[in-house]
Amino acid sequence: MKIWIVVILAGIGTYLIRVSGILLFQNEDRIPPLVRRALRMIGPAAMGAIVGNALFLDQGAWRPFGAWHVAALVAVAAAVWKRNLGLTMLAGVAAFAVLLLTVY
Amino acid sequence: MTSRAAFADGVRDIGGLVPGVAVFGLSFGALVRARGIDPIAGATSSLIVGAGAGQTAAIEVLAVGGAVSIAVLSALIVNARFALYSAALAPMFGRFTPAWRWGLAYLVSDQTVGLYGRGQERWTTSALQQYYMLGVTLPMRTAWVGGTVAGILLGPVVPGAWQVGFIVPLMFIALAIPGIRGLPELAAAVTGVVAVVSLKDLPLGLNIVAAALLGMTAGLMVHRRESGSGVSGSGVSGSGVSGSGVSGSGAVGSTEAPEPTADTADSA
Repeated sequence: MKIWIVVILAGIGTYLIRVSGILLFQNEDRIPPLVRRALRMIGPAAMGAIVGNALFLDQGAWRPFGAWHVAALVAVAAAVWKRNLGLTMLAGVAAFAVLLLTVY
Repeated sequence: MTSRAAFADGVRDIGGLVPGVAVFGLSFGALVRARGIDPIAGATSSLIVGAGAGQTAAIEVLAVGGAVSIAVLSALIVNARFALYSAALAPMFGRFTPAWRWGLAYLVSDQTVGLYGRGQERWTTSALQQYYMLGVTLPMRTAWVGGTVAGILLGPVVPGAWQVGFIVPLMFIALAIPGIRGLPELAAAVTGVVAVVSLKDLPLGLNIVAAALLGMTAGLMVHRRESGSGVSGSGVSGSGVSGSGVSGSGAVGSTEAPEPTADTADSA
């Protein structure tokens, strides 16, 4: 029962968060240019933060240097080179598998 | 130029990430089972909350006997970044019909928010953009729920030695880099990385929200410097990201990206 209350309340709360920014800024002509530019920066900034958090940290502590970092570099190189999402995933997974099986 | 083509285009763009999210769902499902959580409630959470990090946070609180209120609060704090995504999507979603706007808002995830700029560049009317965004978001939510159910049914099928957690940074590298078209975006992303590790001692994933805000500020500052000084040698201006006609001052000079448009990115 407890879990159901959590799931439903977390679901409602998360949905309210999901619509909050749209409610605030949905009238496009009323958005000042500065805010509009700021909104465009959110994507790169948030994704950088997620990458840093998942790659360099492990449950709040530093992740020891290893296959994660090297394979991530390979993925970055592939992404810069081809700018193709599927190819980047493939390159990263392949590099990671090879590193796990050989070096680390 | 039909709605079906726009939908298919979205599916194609996100396709490379669908297997990763399914595997991630598998491990979340296995966690639900390992923690002794009611399996139907666990699967339902993937459907109605639809945000893996927040769901995991709530389950870990419950697993150690925490209160309902703390579990809900942890999930909501971890999901606070969705407020930023929502704001970023507002100019596009504001032109959608209400049913599409509020329906798509429910489906957006970390992975799908990054593609809205590409959708705006390629599909010029709101009606087609709606279908593009549905094509991007629906496969992800389906894979997340399907992966969760499979993980609950199968248990821990993915060996721990595989370290599937690597999928998370990998997915976001694959998503973020094609969207970096100029110095402002680069500054935003790099600042996000540096800030999130510098703020690692903030609890409950708040370092991510704080780092996103800092990265956004850094991007704005670089943009101001670029457009203020009139120096154009630094690369493509920021205007190409959403294609919404914001004044871009930088000349398209020599950059490391041979194609300034996103058209080459979907050849998978």
